[in-house]
Amino acid sequence: METLKDIIFILIYPGLFFLLSYSLFVEWVDRKVYARLQNRYGPLHTGFAGMLQPTADFIKLMFKEDIVPEKADKFMFSALPIFGLAIVATSSLFLPVWHYTAQTSFVSFSGDLIVAVYLLSLATLVLFLAGWHSTSPFATIGGVRVITMLFGYEIPFLLALLGPAILADSWRMMNIAAFYQQTPVLLLVNIIGFFVALISLQAKLERCPFDIPHAETEIVGGTFTEYSGRKLAFFKLMTSIEMVVGSGLIAVVFMGGFPGGFWIGMAHFVVKTTFIVILLAFIRALCSRIRVEQVVTFSWRYLTPIAILQILIVILVKAYIN
Amino acid sequence: MKEDLIIKQLTEKFGSGISETSNPSPRRMFATVNKEILNEVIKYLRDTFNFYHLSTITGVDKGDFELNYHFANELTCVTLRVTVPRAEPNINSICEVIPGAVLYEREIQDMYGIKVANIPDGRPLVTSDDWPEDNYPLRKDWTFERPKEVIPGEQNGD
Amino acid sequence: MEIKIPIGPQHPALKEPISLRVTVDGEHIKDVDIRLGYNHRGLEKLAEQKNWVQNIYVMERICGICSHSHTTCYVQAVEQIQGLEVPKRGLYIRTLVAELERVHSHLLWLGVAGHETGFDTFFMYTWRDREIVMDILEIISGNRVHYAINSIGGVRRDISEEQKKLILGSLDTLIKRTEYYANIGTIEPTFVARLDGVGPLSKEQATSLCAVGPVLRASGVANDVRKDDPYAVYDELPFEVATATSGDVLGRVIVRVKELLESYKMIEYLLKNIPEGPISVRAPRKIKPGEAISRYEAPRGEDLHYVKSNGGDKPERLKVRAPTLANYPATVVMLKNMFIADIPIIFAAIDPCVCCAERTVQLIDTKRGDKVMRFSELRKMSIDFYKKMDLSKKGNLWKL
Repeated sequence: METLKDIIFILIYPGLFFLLSYSLFVEWVDRKVYARLQNRYGPLHTGFAGMLQPTADFIKLMFKEDIVPEKADKFMFSALPIFGLAIVATSSLFLPVWHYTAQTSFVSFSGDLIVAVYLLSLATLVLFLAGWHSTSPFATIGGVRVITMLFGYEIPFLLALLGPAILADSWRMMNIAAFYQQTPVLLLVNIIGFFVALISLQAKLERCPFDIPHAETEIVGGTFTEYSGRKLAFFKLMTSIEMVVGSGLIAVVFMGGFPGGFWIGMAHFVVKTTFIVILLAFIRALCSRIRVEQVVTFSWRYLTPIAILQILIVILVKAYIN
Repeated sequence: MKEDLIIKQLTEKFGSGISETSNPSPRRMFATVNKEILNEVIKYLRDTFNFYHLSTITGVDKGDFELNYHFANELTCVTLRVTVPRAEPNINSICEVIPGAVLYEREIQDMYGIKVANIPDGRPLVTSDDWPEDNYPLRKDWTFERPKEVIPGEQNGD
Repeated sequence: MEIKIPIGPQHPALKEPISLRVTVDGEHIKDVDIRLGYNHRGLEKLAEQKNWVQNIYVMERICGICSHSHTTCYVQAVEQIQGLEVPKRGLYIRTLVAELERVHSHLLWLGVAGHETGFDTFFMYTWRDREIVMDILEIISGNRVHYAINSIGGVRRDISEEQKKLILGSLDTLIKRTEYYANIGTIEPTFVARLDGVGPLSKEQATSLCAVGPVLRASGVANDVRKDDPYAVYDELPFEVATATSGDVLGRVIVRVKELLESYKMIEYLLKNIPEGPISVRAPRKIKPGEAISRYEAPRGEDLHYVKSNGGDKPERLKVRAPTLANYPATVVMLKNMFIADIPIIFAAIDPCVCCAERTVQLIDTKRGDKVMRFSELRKMSIDFYKKMDLSKKGNLWKL
């Protein structure tokens, strides 16, 4: 019985099937909000209000011609999209999507927060390798930009997640979520960290103003220049899933997780992650792309000190409570 | 009038090097200049009357080629004419006086086949890489013949 | 490690084919080489085979954005050779269209600047408002892009009182929105961070490399053909030459936004003070022998046409120097020692030309017989059609 439950867990909810369909839904939300902010309609024709448009795009890309450049490293070039998709899908297993009393996620152990963050960084590394192994000049520059940006946003992201974890006295996502469900007032302490994490997540997802590695007008497709067809579809899907996992992570740490059993928990998950995705779409619409060295300067001059300030506040609050 | 002053000073300074000056309408002035002293005249105009801005160089095929250097400042527009013989199409570059002239001189080279000496960058500007030699489109005796189309990657002539 | 990256002839940042070969070291640009000629159509040779009137339309098709600039410049030169005195009203309409064209070109450029820096929201907003100008131009000339309003000796269409009122009405919206964009363009931190100090061009470099238009004015040189060499009715118009002293892309944005605001003032003045009378005089088929140089301040800078006639019905020589060409040497200087990320915006800052789209104004119903519709009716019909439609029902869209 337990095995069956595990299989359902992995394949249906909150595993692969749910993850895929939900990430496509989130992509639709993102596109729609972005379009409305720009005085456009966005997807309109496929499905209800264009809801199936990301799915249609995905299916269309799957059928497109798949080209591997002659000079590229064939094995790495083909393996990386699947590898990247696997990594982000794995990282979703750590989200405590089920009710928090019994089994909260497929694997839950002390320190799963760090593992999830680590897996998300690994996904970024996959993008770098993809750019590097394409060997085209645009892809190489894109790959180098991915890594340069990683040095900028990774530290503030981790520091921002560190604050709530210190307050909750745990590295286990389920415990952090449970802690804030008991005393929701303490969520307000982390409000600065929430915004730091949000901006870092935006950079991690490589969206405007941090869409530097694949800045269309500068280096064509950047890391994805040589990718087409199925492989590009996998990369697009990977980005969408990364968005779900990243916003899920923030929802767990800063918004009290997803309590209330199967159905209410799912409602919590959908509402909270969609809210974060809408915030991300707002950032995307309101900024212009900045340069790669401006990202690093920005994150070390502003984001990191603010994240450290957040940790100091958390430590003081903790001392006061105890 | 500013134009009269320029004409007077130019003829005083360069004497027989300047011929056929005219002022057909307000703010327009034409002067024919000897090929040899062109750079000196331009330098003099630039330093005395602030003619830093070269608008363009127009070539006209009148049997011999006539090059019109259109200069402009805030008040007027001066055109210096130079005649280049068809038998020996050579002229000196003015890039050391007016650095912005390089594109126009390259265009003249492409279109009229006038060799510009001392040009900093003498590659073709507007003609394609496979443009045939000794074809100068703006010469009056040039007519267009569509070259045989070659599709890259296929055997030529198939 | 130095690598060479090709920007163009096909590249998302470029709207027309040109090739920039950029040598980069990491993110820094070491050297730039510009290769032109992908779009050379031999128009100067073609012009020698067309008659004077046909050439107006050839000139119109040099560029989609500054189509009126080229025709006006050409027509002015021909009128000067023939000694034609264009009626005041004709000149006013010509200037009106010229200023409207400047507005539409600069709004377009603001949008492109937004797009090149990844600020797509700005792009969408400015292009939405550009539609207002395009509609005004359509009201005046019947066309959105190639206005075809110039003829030798005047203009082809008059404007009526209702049209004037309509234009003045839409102008208010435009002024309000442009002020808002001026605000965004100079305050939004990420946008300013991308523009400030990028693509520097000192006053000396700009003058010695013969730069023109907003590029030159942003380097602090108050050079404007409309002031220096007034044509049409610019000697009667109250306006100031917009300049900036910073010499970077931000300065070029500021110059263009200031010019937009000046243009609105001019359009208002032109509409309120337009004299009564004929709009054109008759021109002969053959033009007297002679030559003329015509200069014109196009949205991108000084446009120069040299026309030479030998007394026939075709020009002996017609030389066109479009403003973009004059700015290429300066671009190479601007690009050096910048970042790869700055290539699109620096190159876009000289405003290279872009072409526009076709559209239909006539609807033919085969079932009920031919039916010609006015564009306003067609538009109203389409709005009603989409309002009535139940978007939630599947398969309701694209039903024809």
